[in-house]
Amino acid sequence: MTPELLEYYEHLHSRKVILFFSGPVSQGVVEGVAELMREKLRLEQAGAGVAQRVFAILIEQMQNIARHSAERCTPDGEVVMAHGQVAVGREDDGRFYVACGNRVRTADCGGLARRMEEIRSLSGDDLASQYRLLRRAERPAKSLGAGLGLIDMARKAARPLDFRITALDPDTSFFAMKVVA
Amino acid sequence: MTVFHVEGTKSSPRMYFDPASRVLEISGESYPENCQQVYEPMFQWLQEFFNKDPQGRVVLNMEIRYFNSSSSRTFMNLFDLLDEQAAQGRIVEVHWRFHEENETARECGEEFMADVRDLCFILTPISDQRPA
Repeated sequence: MTPELLEYYEHLHSRKVILFFSGPVSQGVVEGVAELMREKLRLEQAGAGVAQRVFAILIEQMQNIARHSAERCTPDGEVVMAHGQVAVGREDDGRFYVACGNRVRTADCGGLARRMEEIRSLSGDDLASQYRLLRRAERPAKSLGAGLGLIDMARKAARPLDFRITALDPDTSFFAMKVVA
Repeated sequence: MTVFHVEGTKSSPRMYFDPASRVLEISGESYPENCQQVYEPMFQWLQEFFNKDPQGRVVLNMEIRYFNSSSSRTFMNLFDLLDEQAAQGRIVEVHWRFHEENETARECGEEFMADVRDLCFILTPISDQRPA
């Protein structure tokens, strides 16, 4: 592992990554990373509006992982902890991005991909009215839960949400998305 | 009825509801792991309070630095509950306080305001706190 760390460092550095997290995501991790990034964004002299958007997108993404990741460590069969990755960095044009990845059940991927494509196709006004509609709607029993969160991220994004789903084996796939703030 | 008081945490707000003054305060952050768990006691207290005190003017002061999408749903439920009270003739004021530089909080307040009918929703910019 020792030699690889320099490779990882150089790879992330070349992609202007400010934060990279890979591991189990609990609520405590969400809170810790959120606080850290609030301070970091201040030091990066991101404007107040940009900092708020990056912060909001980061929390929605990490809480999505906590709720939906199919990869969970169960050391004693009791504690169920979601596993995933999050990256915050800068695009070439200086904008911040927040990206996340985690394993999902392949069975859920069709619905997830349709939802992502639908959100990508909506205008700002449509996103706003969907958000207000969904906020009042009772959550469907078997919802992906992230319905409102995805729309919230899309509303805060400067560009359509970027995503990719890659099959790993018949049961699991890898879901990755990037939001440019 | 006794005061409803819950201390805030890193991801959930302080709540302080005084049945005597009928002033409700919610302040802090709101992105808990489980919104229902955090806010259910508040809804229960409010329901009981409205039953026991069906008329008096109620003021809710709300100052949330950041809230996630699940909290947004919970807050809508709260405003709907207060709006019902207002529709029945009670005077209800919601003071949505936000830092003047926190555009997101201002826009969220405007959207909540557009989604209620009978209660009085007031946007109050403040400047004594660092933006998110």
